[in-house]
Amino acid sequence: MSTTLIETRNLTKRYGEKVAAKDVSFDVHGGEIFGFLGPNGAGKTTTIKMIVGLLQPTSGTVRVAGHDVQREPLLAKAASGYVPDTPNLYAKLTGRELLRFVGDLYDMDRPTVTRRIDELLRILDLTAAADDTVDSFSHGMQQKASLAAALMHDPQVLILDEPTVGLDPKSARLIKDILRQMADRGAAVFLSTHILEIAERMCDRIGIINRGEVIAIGTMDELRTLGQTGGASLEDIFLSLTGGAEEAAIAEILK
Amino acid sequence: MSALAHAPSRRILPAVLKLLLLRVRISWNSFRHAKTSRKIGTIFITLLLVAFAGFIFFLSWLLLGFLRSPNLTQYVGLDATRLLESMPVLILAALFVGILLTSFGVLLQALYLSRDMDFLLSSPVPLRAVFVAKLLQAVLPNFALIALFGLPVLFGLGIASNYNILYYPLVVLEMVILTLAAAGLSALLVMLVVRVLPPRRAAEILGFLGATLGMLCSQMGNFSNWASDNVDVSGEQASSLFRFLMRLDTVWLPLNWAGRGLVDIGEGRWLSGILFAVLTLGLAGVTFLFALATAERWYYSGWAGMQVVERKKKTAREKRPHSAEQTDRLSPLARLIPNPVRAILVKDFMVLRRDLRNLSQLISPLILGALYTLMLFRGRGGVEFSSGQGNAPAWFMEAGRLVLDYSSIGMSLFVGWMLLSRLAGMGFSAEGRNYWMIKVSPVHSRHLLAAKFLVAYLPTFLLGLVFLVVITIIRGMSVVAFLYGLLAMTLCLSGMTGILLAFGIAGANFNWDDPRKMNAGGMGCLGQILTMLYLPLAFGLFVGPLGLASALGWPLIYGHLAGTLVGGAVTLACASVPLLVARGRLARLAEG
Repeated sequence: MSTTLIETRNLTKRYGEKVAAKDVSFDVHGGEIFGFLGPNGAGKTTTIKMIVGLLQPTSGTVRVAGHDVQREPLLAKAASGYVPDTPNLYAKLTGRELLRFVGDLYDMDRPTVTRRIDELLRILDLTAAADDTVDSFSHGMQQKASLAAALMHDPQVLILDEPTVGLDPKSARLIKDILRQMADRGAAVFLSTHILEIAERMCDRIGIINRGEVIAIGTMDELRTLGQTGGASLEDIFLSLTGGAEEAAIAEILK
Repeated sequence: MSALAHAPSRRILPAVLKLLLLRVRISWNSFRHAKTSRKIGTIFITLLLVAFAGFIFFLSWLLLGFLRSPNLTQYVGLDATRLLESMPVLILAALFVGILLTSFGVLLQALYLSRDMDFLLSSPVPLRAVFVAKLLQAVLPNFALIALFGLPVLFGLGIASNYNILYYPLVVLEMVILTLAAAGLSALLVMLVVRVLPPRRAAEILGFLGATLGMLCSQMGNFSNWASDNVDVSGEQASSLFRFLMRLDTVWLPLNWAGRGLVDIGEGRWLSGILFAVLTLGLAGVTFLFALATAERWYYSGWAGMQVVERKKKTAREKRPHSAEQTDRLSPLARLIPNPVRAILVKDFMVLRRDLRNLSQLISPLILGALYTLMLFRGRGGVEFSSGQGNAPAWFMEAGRLVLDYSSIGMSLFVGWMLLSRLAGMGFSAEGRNYWMIKVSPVHSRHLLAAKFLVAYLPTFLLGLVFLVVITIIRGMSVVAFLYGLLAMTLCLSGMTGILLAFGIAGANFNWDDPRKMNAGGMGCLGQILTMLYLPLAFGLFVGPLGLASALGWPLIYGHLAGTLVGGAVTLACASVPLLVARGRLARLAEG
């Protein structure tokens, strides 16, 4: 049985009266791509931020590669890489300098940093722009630079928040291939996305969150059974579970 | 085109009105959703400004009437009637030049760097309408500020001089049309510059130049007091000033036609008044319309070419080949520093150096320090203590001289304080929305604090060292005094860094887009106040024992030892204790 690399138990985050995430519990194993779906404002980004250590949970625990993110943050962070939905990168650093900065932050030795920089720039087709400052990059290039930064230290766990938004088809395909390769090598890949087709094609298991609570977790077949939708697509399952079927009916009328 | 959308209109005025109303709606919504205290503050300030305008009007009415008095004519030696008639000329000329000069930066932001440009330029709104709406939004604050002073004065002049009723609406009309003309010219200049420089780069350069000039201008008063022995204004100088102002009021300067037209119409000289007014309105109108016509082509091409221009420049640049051996080699000193600390150090220094908006904040301490050191060099207002001078005993004079010598070293600390307020006080806020990169990485809090401490401390120490060397040479201090001063400066700066950095953590604010708008809030201000108190106290702990030893006739070495022990202990405590307390807050920074 593969190792559990992300483990959340009753993860909750409150902002005053508002509950952004409530009792979120799931496991992600090495070798799988786990898709995290939910409507806007469901709590996906909040959950992700608690996993990577950007937010402290109100209650509950989260372990990454066996380390509690609150009690052993440095060990948990050393094992994980994070790609946010909005790539806020240091605008005045070049691509190369940015990756070197990340490599030093992760305390990597110099020769390895240099080798990884060249590899990642080549894989992500950023070599030509490596010596240009980040503020001259397009959105897609910034997304790729953000992914390169997350992969610098070859993490066991990769967490991505909407990784394919704003990418051209070639770049989106490239990222999908990279994620698949990482999973095949034993890493755990956790990604949130709005694009159900991506989740359906790429993910080994899918979790659906709605109004801060996880309402379904499983493979496509398991979700079909849960949603009682027979051989329907993930879109139908998603809408039936999150109560969006009536909106879909309205959208049909407007066509 | 969708079935529901109407055909887009090419009429500019309705589109401009729509965009302006949108801006009014946004402002109103911001006010409605603001906290009660902010609402009350806004209303209070508005009422205060209205009252201020009324006060200016009343004051100018009185003063302008006073200018006609025979006593003043006798004192100045000139008939002030001429000056009064030139006042509209001067005010309107100042309005035009003021708007022209101050609008450049504002229009650059509004036309090319505002966030809604993608939305506006892709929607079916005439480009000229977008241009006009943005132009009006940009110049309105500057116009309001100038009108706040200019309009009451001109109205006061009208009442004091019994001008006829047509004068008053013409004042408003001419102010508006001159503002539009100046803004149009400024916008043309902006569009020209954008064809050469990327807008962001132009904004950075402008910010840097503006900050430098602003700092220099603000210190002109001190500098002129220092440079000149006599700063009182005599009657003759006032007369010279009046004559100079009169010379500017000539019919050959188009800038003066607006004011002349106002005065002539006000005094009933209809022919010349109407002629000047028509010339002014015509010329200003033509200028504005030319800007509007040019905007259609230049504005869109400038905006569309923004990204392309930047990328082309980058690829045309020669790239230095990267040698793996060069990048893998570290200096022995660099190897002593842990990787994460070095990474943050290098990154921060690169960002500080490359973003001119950061440099514009750092230039002020340099300018101030240079000016005050020059003043010290000239020795103006300085006090010298010589043994045997006056009635004070020799031991007192000796102790005083010693204290004064070391007090000059306080200059280096003052400059350091200004620099540290930015580098340490906003060391964490400076990360902005990029802080997540550090927060998700396995960087120990002590490494992070050490890095931010060094980022703030090292440049401040180097700058202080330069000033210390200069001051030592100017005052002819001994090597021992220099070394002791160096020790005091080193330790005092470290204490200051610790305090400011700790308060900077407590008040860290990461939600900013422009480095000039970042702040550390109330906590940052509190840190600055505390360090203002800390500085003289801490330095006094080093210098006081010296004075005491000298006064008691003991060898100075005792004073040095006592000062080192006491001052050293306090400053090192200030360097470390606040950071130990603030360290606990690091884990919760940038949440939400």
